[in-house]
Amino acid sequence: MLERSVDRRRGGHRSRPNVVKAHLDAIATAAKRLLEPPITLPYPDYMEARPPGYRGVILFHYEKCIGCSLCAQICPARAIKMYRVPGDKRLRPGYNVGRCIFCGLCVDICPVDALSESLVHDKVYEDVPSMDMDPVDWALWSRRVMDEERSPEKPLLRARLDPERGIVYEEAQPASSGGEG
Amino acid sequence: MALVQLPGMVGRELGSSEGLRVVELNIGAQHPASGHMRLIVYLDGDVIVRVDPDIGYVHRTVEKLAEGREYVRIISLVERMTIIDACNVTLPYVEAVERLLGVEPPPRARYLRTILCEVNRIASHLYGLGIGGIFLNHSTMYMWAFGDREVFIHLASLLTGSRLTHTYPVFGGVRRDLPQVFREEFEKAKRYMLRRLREYDKVFFNNPVIRGRLEGVGVMTAKQAVALGATGPNLRASGVRYDARMTGYAAYGELDFEPVVGSEGDALERVWVRLREIEASLELIDRALRGLPEGPFMAEKFTKTVPPAVRHWLGKGRLKLPGSYVRLKTRPGEVLGRGEMGRGEITYYLVSDGGMKPYRLRIVTPSARNVVLFDALARGHTLMDLPAIYGSIDYFPPEADR
Ligand code: SF4
Ligand code: SF4
Repeated sequence: MLERSVDRRRGGHRSRPNVVKAHLDAIATAAKRLLEPPITLPYPDYMEARPPGYRGVILFHYEKCIGCSLCAQICPARAIKMYRVPGDKRLRPGYNVGRCIFCGLCVDICPVDALSESLVHDKVYEDVPSMDMDPVDWALWSRRVMDEERSPEKPLLRARLDPERGIVYEEAQPASSGGEG
Repeated sequence: MALVQLPGMVGRELGSSEGLRVVELNIGAQHPASGHMRLIVYLDGDVIVRVDPDIGYVHRTVEKLAEGREYVRIISLVERMTIIDACNVTLPYVEAVERLLGVEPPPRARYLRTILCEVNRIASHLYGLGIGGIFLNHSTMYMWAFGDREVFIHLASLLTGSRLTHTYPVFGGVRRDLPQVFREEFEKAKRYMLRRLREYDKVFFNNPVIRGRLEGVGVMTAKQAVALGATGPNLRASGVRYDARMTGYAAYGELDFEPVVGSEGDALERVWVRLREIEASLELIDRALRGLPEGPFMAEKFTKTVPPAVRHWLGKGRLKLPGSYVRLKTRPGEVLGRGEMGRGEITYYLVSDGGMKPYRLRIVTPSARNVVLFDALARGHTLMDLPAIYGSIDYFPPEADR
């Protein structure tokens, strides 16, 4: 019942390494890596500095919005809904960051740059309702996120590639997503 | 009926049939390794008599949801079947809709799509190798592959602004032009990965322990592979020269694409094909970067109606969409989109009645086709061979369940 149909001597492209040498090779290769520094980001003591153009949480600039609702129409996650704001004739978008999948399509379709992507991704909320923001809340929150971009709470490390070591993290200066467009 | 307890597994004795004592064993009540699913294994002593994969834990009705959404909103929906291979999973859908819309992406966009597809393929193969490694208790391979996958996720995030769910190809082109730093970073990634592949050979592929676990296990002949409908590296490891990229979609037709084909059809060969495909993908990206045509990255049809206030972004390599993009109407008709993902061929069958949403979107993913291999390959092997077989076919439940 346990017939193995492969002839173990075949296997054209497969070399048959000497067993003792192969064991030693494997151990030596793994051991060499022990001498190298870890490749992980020491999160959350450090935060990752996102590369330029990174798609973080979406920022809303109220004063630029023309209330066209295209952002709400394209949003695949229905994270953007249009709201009636007291004292404003037009509908304005509100944002549920808990639903957002950071696809950035709303930013791509906004005809007046009233939306932009930030470089901030990791945010903590105290409860679920505070993730769902009406237009005014969203605009105020966006300003706070921009402040956070400029002066982050934790030191930043930026990922860069190295031909010998793969990913390495270097100290980085805060950058701004240029949120104002 | 007696319960049989093994670490991490529960089984029950089914009694005897034909004089054999058969035990039914649940492997991974919900999540054996690569995702949510369960294998019900019937054993006679230590020998596998039958394997029933219990699938559907992560079924999200993607096909039905697609019927209620506008075409552009479906891109990030289908992406969620396989977020670790995002460009490969969305591209055939985007190309199918493009055919119904009658738009041609400019050459530069086709090349950029190919570059991201190959970056994704490498990341997907590294993911598969890592999971395959931990199945065999080889945690070094697991850690190394996942660490090195980060290199390619970094490359993808430079190009698209997102680590995994890129939503990069859209109808008519791509969403970002190649950033300045990409070529230089890729050069480093290539040199690093080629050196690492030599180390993988030493620590994993030529490691006598791994050879002992994988060689001659789960053998699938070419004839069997075709009859079972196996796809991707699993099919090519059995010596069948087929890869959907040979149809020449995106820029593959211009890059002298040659598939990696194995011969033995055993678990070790499937690992070998993945390792060599990483090399081949690095070479393809290199070729695509060298041959990258100049020009726009989005079809003129859409860019000419972008509002003047935001046109300046196009010159800075960022896409802006016209308002009409949300409510695109296709011509009525039926199209088939196909492409090669990391795990094999994905097929979209799109039926449009001329509206803003598809009438029907049928999706067949590579893992959905490969799930039959569990039973076909494991029969007659011992229970200890099952992790080796599972690891070698690189099965990904969220992709299979849709
Ligand atoms: S980034 Fe995507 S999911 Fe988030 S609000 Fe914009 S369109 Fe919606
Ligand atoms: S797309 Fe821009 S302008 Fe239109 S409603 Fe949304 S934020 Fe306002």
